[in-house]
Amino acid sequence: MIRHLFKLAWNKKKQNFLLITEMFVSFIVMFAVFTLMVFYYNNYKTSMGFDYDNVWVANYTPPQNITTTDSFQIFHQSLGNMVRSMPQVNDISFTSANVPFAMSTNSTEVSFGNNRHIRTNVYQTENDYKKVLNLKMAEGRWFTDADKITGKYTPVVINSKLKESLFGNTAAIGKIIREEQFDEVPPADKYRVIGVAENMKDKGDYQEVENGMFVAIDTGWMRNAGNILIHVKPNADAAFEGRLSKALSNAIGTSIEIEHLDKKLQSKNLLMLVPLIIALIVAGFLIINVALGLYGVLWYNINKRKAEIGLRRAVGASGADVSKQLVGEALVLATIALIIGTFFAVQFPLLNVFDLPAGVYITALLLAVLFIYLLVLFCALYPGRQAAAIYPAVALHEE
Amino acid sequence: MIRLQNIEKVYRTDTVETLALNSVSLDIAKGEFLSVMGPSGCGKSTLLNIMGLLDMPTKGEIRIGDNKTENLTDKQLAQFRNKTIGFIFQSYHLINDLKVIDNVELPLLYRSLSAKERKELAGKALEKVGLSNRVKHFPTQLSGGQKQRVAIARAIVGRPEIILADEPTGNLDSAMGNEIMDILLQLNQRDGTTIVMVTHDENMAKKTHRLVRLFDGSQVQ
Ligand SMILES: Nc1ncnc2c1ncn2[C@@H]1O[C@H](COP(=O)(O)OP(=O)(O)OP(=O)(O)O)[C@@H](O)[C@H]1O
Ligand SMILES: [Mg+2]
Repeated sequence: MIRHLFKLAWNKKKQNFLLITEMFVSFIVMFAVFTLMVFYYNNYKTSMGFDYDNVWVANYTPPQNITTTDSFQIFHQSLGNMVRSMPQVNDISFTSANVPFAMSTNSTEVSFGNNRHIRTNVYQTENDYKKVLNLKMAEGRWFTDADKITGKYTPVVINSKLKESLFGNTAAIGKIIREEQFDEVPPADKYRVIGVAENMKDKGDYQEVENGMFVAIDTGWMRNAGNILIHVKPNADAAFEGRLSKALSNAIGTSIEIEHLDKKLQSKNLLMLVPLIIALIVAGFLIINVALGLYGVLWYNINKRKAEIGLRRAVGASGADVSKQLVGEALVLATIALIIGTFFAVQFPLLNVFDLPAGVYITALLLAVLFIYLLVLFCALYPGRQAAAIYPAVALHEE
Repeated sequence: MIRLQNIEKVYRTDTVETLALNSVSLDIAKGEFLSVMGPSGCGKSTLLNIMGLLDMPTKGEIRIGDNKTENLTDKQLAQFRNKTIGFIFQSYHLINDLKVIDNVELPLLYRSLSAKERKELAGKALEKVGLSNRVKHFPTQLSGGQKQRVAIARAIVGRPEIILADEPTGNLDSAMGNEIMDILLQLNQRDGTTIVMVTHDENMAKKTHRLVRLFDGSQVQ
């Protein structure tokens, strides 16, 4: 019977061409949507790698009237001490603007051996940064005051992902990394790895883990950007936040803004979900259209083929046989569309088009295949049942 | 072979009720070749459809062989048609999207036979109607007479005991009609197939064993 169905599909290839194209396009769209969904889901499942509860970030414009580096250092220290001395504060760290869940990024390109031009995020940190975010070390150590004495190389802590990109399975601690960023200067060996931290998903729940490199903050940097990560005690409330804000703006002399990382995460997640939501809406409309079209065509075919249905009943098909045949024909067309579609879909992992893991594509492909089969089945079942109910004598009557 | 008792068939549409058959009783013996005549609309096709279990009578009883048919399920009816009855229609009812050989194989699809067995049987049936040289053609590439011969091959491929033919020569000129009639006569004489044939042609009817005339749903001869 399956051969018979393929024979019919082949002999009617002209009439079936549009239907197959429709199923093919739906498959490709669903493949794209599922790829996005699987990618997001995999990211979502990956652990955050740090704690953001009760972490606030204070953002300010550094005062412009302090002109020398020395006096800026004093200002910076007394500001830090003031915040640290508040009873609701556990730990603080000055940092660059790319705090977790912020829109701001800061990156460079590094190389080691044959692994050239690897883009990585760079985070300016202090000794307490690790404690504030409860970062976990995979190997080596975090910064101490001893690292402030400048040697030939700048000490850095890298994350596990960057370690893999640069060193693969080999050891990282003590290795020297080259910075490639600036075109004017010849690239130079610049950083020495002192530790490897576990990956930090600092761009939200749905963001892929990225390469990361932590360096000790330098005061020069501090004059351009003002960001303090503050780990507060659970009892820190709005009243405290008000007092903190006031104390900071008195000390700095400019306006300041305090945000909570958990709130920032929420808005960052929403932003990440927007493209997925748009894709889902577009795909949803398309699928509804395709489903209606499919249903209509199948319905129309059944009415056009009443004589054939009657004949099949006359030569021995039961109502159930007729119904099975019509559903089977639709599934055969879907199979042809899916074979063509799969041929195109597998090019994505083979050519590594978007640099996603192959597993994401394969899962998405299977989901899309399943989806199209279910869609076609759903659209064919009712017309098929109607066809089964056609009275054979009546069907033969129609020409 | 076929026994109809007090068959009545009423068609109901929204506005009218048509009495298509009115108390028809018929006994058809095994191996008999019966022809049915009557003016258009008198119920000939209806009678044939009821004999072929394609349609249910409103009243009355049908026996085929030793089988009562009123309590059969849809599936059993389908199997019964498949095994015992072959249909031939005035308008051939071939499936244009299937080659001649696949059209002939159609009844065998609803039996458990291998593709090879089906092909063999269909080939033999086409040989019987003299169309062995047209197996790979599509129905649209055939003449009317050839189409009807394909339909006959399809009707006999499953070796049914009964053939029901509804104006098999109605669309053909007399030469082609005679050809078809000869094939039917041969099936009846050589293979002993019971045949019921509706016709408008007195000459064709004369060649059969018995003639039944219908008028307005009633048997008049
Ligand atoms: N499905 C149906 N619904 C309603 N009325 C029907 C239906 N089929 C047949 N009839 C009516 O029943 C009567 C008998 O029809 P039938 O087709 O048996 O005639 P016939 O003798 O075969 O005519 P013809 O020689 O033109 O083929 C006709 O009046 C027809 O209009
Ligand atoms: Mg008729």
